[in-house]
Amino acid sequence: MLSSTPWKRWLLLAIAVLLVAIYLFPLYWMYVTALKTNTETFANPPTLWPHHAELKVARVWNDMGMGSFIQNSLVIACGTVAIVVLFGTGCAYGLARVRSVWMDVALFMVLMLQVLPPSLLITPIFVAFSQLGLLSWPRTGTILATAANKLPLYIVLVRAAFTQVPRELEEAALVDGNSRIGAFLSISVPLARNGILVSAILIFLQALGEYVYSRSLITDRAYQPATVGLQFFVGPNASDWTGIMTFAAIYVTPILIIFVLAQRRIVSGLTSGALK
Amino acid sequence: MTLQIELAGIQKYYGGYHALRGIDIAIPKGQFVALVGPSGCGKSTLLRTIAGLETITSGAIRIKGEDITRQPPRLRDIAMVFQSYALYPHMTVEKNLTYSLRLKGVSRAEARRKAEEIAAITGLGQLLDRYPRELSGGQRQRVAMGRAIIRNPKAFLFDEPLSNLDAALRVHMRAEVRKLHNSLGATSVYVTHDQIEAMTMADHVVVMRAGVIEQQGAPLDLYDRPVNRFVAGFIGSPAMNFIDGIVTETGNSVRLALPGDPTLSFAGHRPAGESVTVGLRPEHLNVVADTATGNTMRLPVSLVEQTGSMTYVVTETEPMLTVAANMSRAILTAKSLDVQIDPANVYLFDRKSEEALRSVG
Repeated sequence: MLSSTPWKRWLLLAIAVLLVAIYLFPLYWMYVTALKTNTETFANPPTLWPHHAELKVARVWNDMGMGSFIQNSLVIACGTVAIVVLFGTGCAYGLARVRSVWMDVALFMVLMLQVLPPSLLITPIFVAFSQLGLLSWPRTGTILATAANKLPLYIVLVRAAFTQVPRELEEAALVDGNSRIGAFLSISVPLARNGILVSAILIFLQALGEYVYSRSLITDRAYQPATVGLQFFVGPNASDWTGIMTFAAIYVTPILIIFVLAQRRIVSGLTSGALK
Repeated sequence: MTLQIELAGIQKYYGGYHALRGIDIAIPKGQFVALVGPSGCGKSTLLRTIAGLETITSGAIRIKGEDITRQPPRLRDIAMVFQSYALYPHMTVEKNLTYSLRLKGVSRAEARRKAEEIAAITGLGQLLDRYPRELSGGQRQRVAMGRAIIRNPKAFLFDEPLSNLDAALRVHMRAEVRKLHNSLGATSVYVTHDQIEAMTMADHVVVMRAGVIEQQGAPLDLYDRPVNRFVAGFIGSPAMNFIDGIVTETGNSVRLALPGDPTLSFAGHRPAGESVTVGLRPEHLNVVADTATGNTMRLPVSLVEQTGSMTYVVTETEPMLTVAANMSRAILTAKSLDVQIDPANVYLFDRKSEEALRSVG
């Protein structure tokens, strides 16, 4: 419960604002640096606000060939989400509905997979993909590896959404004349829609930020996503920090917008109190 | 008489747990059957096996003579009303009502027409475009009923549909469900833990305990001739009083284990000295002015509960007895009560097996 005494509320608000400021500072620094000139970047003491702001979006976009990077990023992220939603939704439903010791074991295994970091898994994955010849389709390989890595998170989140759907609703659909799959698609999935949607967006955003698999599996620059493309700024002698930050800003801004939109959706879902 | 639903030797195991132990019920067309019993007796499981939501281990389920034991729910043509109503929250009342029709491929206009027809019958007229969350408990209940009726199924299954309603509405809906059943000429199986609901609504009552049918028959048969102590105690409200007793030398009366060792005569004859449990219904204990009328006993009063029309007197004996008396000011202050009972209304049960004892000789 929030205290009714005003000073306490102001204090809590101040602490909250301070924490948010600390948390969002890197984001702010990215945008500010992107607007600075190269010399101002190295100014000491650093300037909090650029004196001679210049927008380098067009130059960075063209010089770096960002169109191809972003396209690859989108292909990988969309592919990952497609695979994760296709396989994860059914799996999450099964884990939510069947009650047995073996399901608990399965869920535990799924959670264990979540613990293993991509940097640990990449070596065996690389060897396996190379044996299978999957390295000739590097983006497909990356999609598969990323999907496998993100599936556990999606399954756990969507399973929680399915457990909220009363079993009796499906049983009513069965008695009303629907098949198991029909009841799943026309009753359970629409009712778990919010959970599925939010989880899918989360996976999409994570897949956009994926680096380890793309870096290791994709050697041809034409197929690399933006996260990997970022490193071409860093040469042996010079680092174009304002260019890097512009690149990053171009990449991150749409993600931020998606996230803010999704956030609204989650909040509205929570405040309306019921599934629609 | 053609059988609409036939259950033959139904056995159901959940792992090692034996949930249904050889259930046989034959339900003719148009009958209203109530499955009643304490929670965990298997009545809901039995209903779900008829719907096809649970598989059975052995036995057969036949509907109109056709064996449907292994068929999935959608092929059985049976409608079910759930305790929680199970209305689809993301669909309007109309969509809820017509869900089954749309699955059958009925045209939109035809489905709408049917929905309006059903809404008129169930009193949902203006609510077709509302969502379930915008309805009251009673209205949701009607939608659940309407969703079953619209299909014109071979049988209706009810899983405690009235238990979420408040008392007044429940009594009202009880009559309404029964009226609907009659007007549709439907065959219904109704699960409840409330024996009054079972007695008032059903043509045929099935009393279950621990996966076994203890007794089935017409409501008054169960009330008049319970086969064992469990059914006797379950049917009737307030519940039957049970007192230990010993059959006297004459063989037609019994000495009760109550203060003063009162003796009551009963109809029929039993071996002298037999240990029995005597069952006396509260409403059969008539309060009388004096003990001269015969077959009476005097009971000390512990507590008087008034309901207005009836007064329930709880006696200060071990075990406690309940006496249902007509409202009378004198009872409220009485220290003791003289009750008289018709020998025909004295029930005897075997003390060990708890089976009802019939007259011998």
